[in-house]
Amino acid sequence: MPKVTYIEHNGTEHEIDLPDGWTLMQGATLNGIDGIEGECGGSCGCATCHVYVDEAFLAKLDPPSENEEEMLECTVSPRESNSRLGCQIKVTDALDGIVVRMPEAQS
Amino acid sequence: MFRFDPYSPEFDADPFPAYKTLRDEHPCYWSEEAGMWVYSRYADIVTALNDWQTYSSAKGNLVDELPNRAGNTLGTTDPPRHDRLRALIQTAVTKRALDHIIEPAQASCRAHLDALAGRSSFDFVNDYSSNVTVDLLFYLFNLPKEGQKTVRDKAVLMVQTDPETRQKGPQHIEAYEWMANYAAELVAERKQNPGDDLMSNFITAEIDGEKLKDREVQLTVTTLIMAGIESLSGFMSVFALNLADHADARRRLAADPSLIPDAMEESLRYNTSAQRFKRCLQRDVDAHGQQMKAGDFLMLAYRSANRDERQFENPDVYDIESKPKGHLGFGGGVHACLGTAIARLACKVAFEELLTRYPEFERVEDRLPWVPSSNFRSPMRLELSVG
Repeated sequence: MPKVTYIEHNGTEHEIDLPDGWTLMQGATLNGIDGIEGECGGSCGCATCHVYVDEAFLAKLDPPSENEEEMLECTVSPRESNSRLGCQIKVTDALDGIVVRMPEAQS
Repeated sequence: MFRFDPYSPEFDADPFPAYKTLRDEHPCYWSEEAGMWVYSRYADIVTALNDWQTYSSAKGNLVDELPNRAGNTLGTTDPPRHDRLRALIQTAVTKRALDHIIEPAQASCRAHLDALAGRSSFDFVNDYSSNVTVDLLFYLFNLPKEGQKTVRDKAVLMVQTDPETRQKGPQHIEAYEWMANYAAELVAERKQNPGDDLMSNFITAEIDGEKLKDREVQLTVTTLIMAGIESLSGFMSVFALNLADHADARRRLAADPSLIPDAMEESLRYNTSAQRFKRCLQRDVDAHGQQMKAGDFLMLAYRSANRDERQFENPDVYDIESKPKGHLGFGGGVHACLGTAIARLACKVAFEELLTRYPEFERVEDRLPWVPSSNFRSPMRLELSVG
């Protein structure tokens, strides 16, 4: 199972093994990690699973879809060049070890 | 021998023991009665929701699908077309775009509560939640006021199955076709005179330079009306039921309405009204020792997943402090309910108003009449005593 490290805004780190094909949003919400809300259930409809992806992994991700681009305009914390929505990133072995930072606020 | 019959009224009266047996002993179960497989564990259902390539919605998502519907609505279209369709509506229904519904929703709630003055009991479903949701939907879609009651009656009927045969009967198909025609007339009218309402935006939209197909627009509007009225009212009814059954929780909410959103999430987990949907396998899948074949249908029992002790601690306890994340009360993945933000906001307003007026209520009937439906489970009637 691919490993994901979530870093809360206050610096707290969580290392989680996620089943292949599950999303970064699910990994956080299903393991009780604060800092990701996922209000819309993973349909790219709310921008409350905003994460900053570690630069080393950014190039391994598919670019954001048009929907995601639109939703990223609605994030509460500032959008940066490495901002993504956690529900749109499914973890695979290729992303094993990925590190994401959570923003100060999601809603 | 254990049997799981999603059409049995006895099962509807209390589905939880059977769901537990399914999870523990038959996590991938062939239901003779439904003619499809059943997933009941949280992890399996999330896996299916994530993998739309394998678990397709394009052959229909209702356990008993309505004629000619599959492939023509958001919920029965797979990506990438699904994502483009959804994007046309999504931005209008995100949380930030919805402040405008608060005042009309409050006014509607108050008017329907005013109408109850002097009564010692009332039916939450028919006197309150369905009226409030119909008002809201008519406001959102800017629908003509006449015929509100008929639209509501047809929306309720089209999601049901026959109480005896538990199949779609002629009256349900008729209601569905009535709604499709109603939608068709609205679509034609909005094409002539588009406004800036949600429906006009959808009707006039294009995907990849192509207008949406008329059938697609009509059936999506039909589904939005059905969901907006029946699903939202069903969700509120189940929440009211939980608060009637859990007096401590209700009193805490009445004393501190800021707790309503957490209690709502717990209700979505504890007994969501949208209890099961369907997918069609696009390849052979082996799960828990069973071999499912490409083309087989599979039921996803959200309500069972939400009680899966593998995922949620003390799942059978209604605890408004549990703040359950990742519940499947709105489904999940690309097809997660489009109206989550509307539902949460409308329900919050409806219960703020209700609890202000009636901090104390209890149910009158022990045994409730459940909506006969293979997808949804909510009471058809919920008499609450307030005297």
